[in-house]
Amino acid sequence: MKPLMLQGHERAITQIKYNREGDLLFSSAKDNAPNVWFSLNGERLGSFMGHQGVVWCLDVNWETTRLLTGAGDNSMRLWDVSNGKEIGKFNTTSSVRTCAFSYSANTAVMSTDKQMKSICEIYIIDVRNADASLESQDPIMRIPVDGPKVTSMLWGPLDETVISGHENGKITMWDLKMGKEVNSVHEHSSSINDLQFNKDGTYFVSASKDCTAKLFDTETLECLKTYKTERPVNSASLSPIMDHVVVGGGQEAMDVTTTSTRVGKFDARFFHLVFEEEFGRVKGHFGPINSLSFHPDGKSYASGGEDGFTRVHTFDPSYFEYQFDY
Amino acid sequence: MAKKKDAEKATQNDENSKQEKSEAVEEEEPNFSDPEDYVDNISDEDLLGDIVKTRPQETDGVESVIVVDGIPQISAERFEKLRNVVSKLFSKAGEIVNECYPKTPEGNTKGYCFIEYANAAYAAEAVTLLNNHKLDRQHTFTVNLFTDFKKYEEIPDQWEPPAPQPYTDMGNLHYYLLEPDSSDQYTTVVNRGNTVQIWLNTVPEPLKIVEKERWTETYVKWSPLGTYFTTIHQAGVALWGGPDFARKMRFAHPGVQFIDFSPSEKYLVTYSPNFESQGEPKNLIIWDIRTGQEKRSFFLNCQMMWPFIRWSHDDKYFARSDEDILSVYETPSFGLLNKKSFKIPGIRDFSWSPTDNILAYWMAEDKDVPARVTLIEIPSRNEIRSKNLFNVADCRMHWQKSGDYLCVKVDRYSKIRKEKNDAKYNVTFLGMYYNFEIFHMQEKQIPVDSVEVKESIHAFAWEPIGSKFAIIHGDQPNICVSFYGVKTGQTPALLKKLEKKCCNHLFWSPAGQYIVLADLRSSSGVLEFVDTNDFNVMAQQEHFQASDVEWDPTGRYVVTVCSFWKAKVDTGYSVWSFQGKILRRFNSGAFCQLLWRPRPPPLLSLKEQEKVKKNLKKYSAQFESKDRMRSSRASKELVEKRRTLMNEFNAYREKCHETWVEQKPRRLQLRNNVDTDEIESDAKNEDEEVIEFFVKEEITIID
Repeated sequence: MKPLMLQGHERAITQIKYNREGDLLFSSAKDNAPNVWFSLNGERLGSFMGHQGVVWCLDVNWETTRLLTGAGDNSMRLWDVSNGKEIGKFNTTSSVRTCAFSYSANTAVMSTDKQMKSICEIYIIDVRNADASLESQDPIMRIPVDGPKVTSMLWGPLDETVISGHENGKITMWDLKMGKEVNSVHEHSSSINDLQFNKDGTYFVSASKDCTAKLFDTETLECLKTYKTERPVNSASLSPIMDHVVVGGGQEAMDVTTTSTRVGKFDARFFHLVFEEEFGRVKGHFGPINSLSFHPDGKSYASGGEDGFTRVHTFDPSYFEYQFDY
Repeated sequence: MAKKKDAEKATQNDENSKQEKSEAVEEEEPNFSDPEDYVDNISDEDLLGDIVKTRPQETDGVESVIVVDGIPQISAERFEKLRNVVSKLFSKAGEIVNECYPKTPEGNTKGYCFIEYANAAYAAEAVTLLNNHKLDRQHTFTVNLFTDFKKYEEIPDQWEPPAPQPYTDMGNLHYYLLEPDSSDQYTTVVNRGNTVQIWLNTVPEPLKIVEKERWTETYVKWSPLGTYFTTIHQAGVALWGGPDFARKMRFAHPGVQFIDFSPSEKYLVTYSPNFESQGEPKNLIIWDIRTGQEKRSFFLNCQMMWPFIRWSHDDKYFARSDEDILSVYETPSFGLLNKKSFKIPGIRDFSWSPTDNILAYWMAEDKDVPARVTLIEIPSRNEIRSKNLFNVADCRMHWQKSGDYLCVKVDRYSKIRKEKNDAKYNVTFLGMYYNFEIFHMQEKQIPVDSVEVKESIHAFAWEPIGSKFAIIHGDQPNICVSFYGVKTGQTPALLKKLEKKCCNHLFWSPAGQYIVLADLRSSSGVLEFVDTNDFNVMAQQEHFQASDVEWDPTGRYVVTVCSFWKAKVDTGYSVWSFQGKILRRFNSGAFCQLLWRPRPPPLLSLKEQEKVKKNLKKYSAQFESKDRMRSSRASKELVEKRRTLMNEFNAYREKCHETWVEQKPRRLQLRNNVDTDEIESDAKNEDEEVIEFFVKEEITIID
């Protein structure tokens, strides 16, 4: 089927996310207005105006009432999804690189960049009764990260842990009761650009600049599978209904202007979760894919690219019929 | 030996006499002497080896003496005269201190004399200077050092055959031809040239035979018949072969850059731009491959393209060219053929026929003398054909592989413009056009046909087996590929012109008939597989940024390579069937080179080959069933592997799911007792929404 093209951003997409039900799709880009779209027809529902810099990350709570965004204007903001108004703002001393709601959405986590004199820090914030006073609130916890900065983040199940991916390829699990590192693995050799859970949160997939995506067990951080490509991987997502992984990336944005699209390999690639075999590719973007997400019903997926477009692909019946022999 | 025994006896006698004396003088002294029956089994060499070595020799002090033989035998009255002549002659070499002319009792000279010089150097000089000196018609001096007589005296009377060199068994160098499915081998250089691998191209997956780190320092090469594998090192060249790829031979040539094998693999030519300053300068060496001996070396300052020396097909002759000179050498003597070179003014290039000892060369145009292509027979040097050409800018000679035809591509100009520019003539050719001169080598007197093409030519290639040739001509974007057929007694006929193609290289299958048109210079890497029986484009494919195309020696597979030497990303190779079906892609970082192992020509006669072709159906059925079996086995293995993987993963997932189910109450607690485990699980809270779909757009213009 012809994909839906969501045009509304002026610059490269940084992250896309479906809400829990999958009727809405949120997108952030290097322009300063995150958007929300109807996933079914691609109509834009609205924008969240207020940021003054690149919006690096976003997350929506499970009830789809609040949106969290982190930006290069040294702030993290909380929005009301129903009217697009800013509820509160949390200022930092450097760019906010990652942000996420916990399972209960009572707390949020964010991490900042290592910039100038500021170090990379993980903040845990109480957002239960967030309002304009968020700015003056103290975070519940601040964890200074010594060493390579955090480039991607996930809440562990049951709000007890946080899993962070780092610039050097390390994945670390933090216990929030103690505020300490409890486990870490170094399976990737370069920056981890994305981390996404499966439906249950029992394992997750990482996307790394070292041209691979890997599957990890959430509890032990044991590496289970590896999906290899020839280009840096920016994002990977797990299908909620099939044993499939979609992996996206491509030649780095800074090199793209000097090469043709064919060298870039901007296709979304589908791998079998268990066999690690590639079985399909979807062309479309004319820049690297920065973010990928399966629809919660597993019948479509969306990709956001450096080219500023978000494409929503609905799978053909043949996709569901295709079976590996085993 | 006789002397030594004497000496021993002498010393023993001395001892005996001493003993006798001492016994006579003091009888109380303990007796240290050996018992009578004692036999001394220690020789003087063992006891006093170092001293015995310096024992004076009869010839000591006579190094400065020479023996002159062959002087006239004359009577006493003419002796003074002879002496004067000889003295004068021999004093040229140095100061003479003594002369001796042995004489018969009658006073006649005996026909030889001894001359002593002031030192040994003069004597040596006299030998080199005056040996074989002709005094007159009857008398020739034979001059030798006096010490040499001893040397020659010791030559044993009995001739002993030289000890045979131990025979080193090279093993079966042709084992790879015995491969039951006749899969071919190929070598790959990966990882920036640090790793060299040799593969067997088996179906469905290739099999790695050898892998070595740092096997070569620059590149690798197969010998022309595929017997040896060559690696290039700073210190020289190494040849490897046999089933285990052991080192078979080594050729030391520091800084070697280019190598070339003779067509029958008898000789190896190495070239190194840096040469040793001591001794005779040499930068090109010819080696015997079996013995590893250096056969001949040259110091060349060549303007020509490598190979600087070119071999005839049977290794009997090789030729090289210098300015206005063509030199042909013969093997195994490595001497100049008939001891002289050819004087060919203005020779620009030459090449050997691939099947006969015929040499073709061309001479450039010079004012009133036209350019000329000549064929000569070696070793008779008979000119068998020549052709004059006018308005020639350049010539290229292309032999057909079976030696039936020679095509000379002639670049010609219709006008020439000379501009005076800083006392230097700047020559510009205006209006180039091209001629293909086809020499029919198999016919009497070698008739020549020519084909003229007005457009620029990008590539030319003969069908290796057959009588077709292909050319790429035209200007962007109208590039055409034309195929011509050559027949006896007829001008070459245009068979087919494929228009508007995107290619710049031609690759014929080694078995003929099939050809790959490739676009290698730009990055697109378009490949077209053409069957030249009906000129049907069987497949159009693409290997992005491909830099090389290599047919396997049997013409069954084509490999396209994207080399690290050209591109930095996506290096690797793809294997295609001869019809252009992709069989395998292989990507590897910093992949450099792929080379098929050549095969020697088949031993079957043409008739037998025809028979095989005729019964192809019978054979192909066998091979196909074999292939099917292999691939089904492979897919069975794959399915097996997947099943175990799936079972393992399902077990893991089962375990995860259990914990997940256990945690359900805690999850409910975190989300206000709303069950969010499935999308549908919270159905009672659902709202209905109306969504509009954009179906079509109509524009009505209101004026």
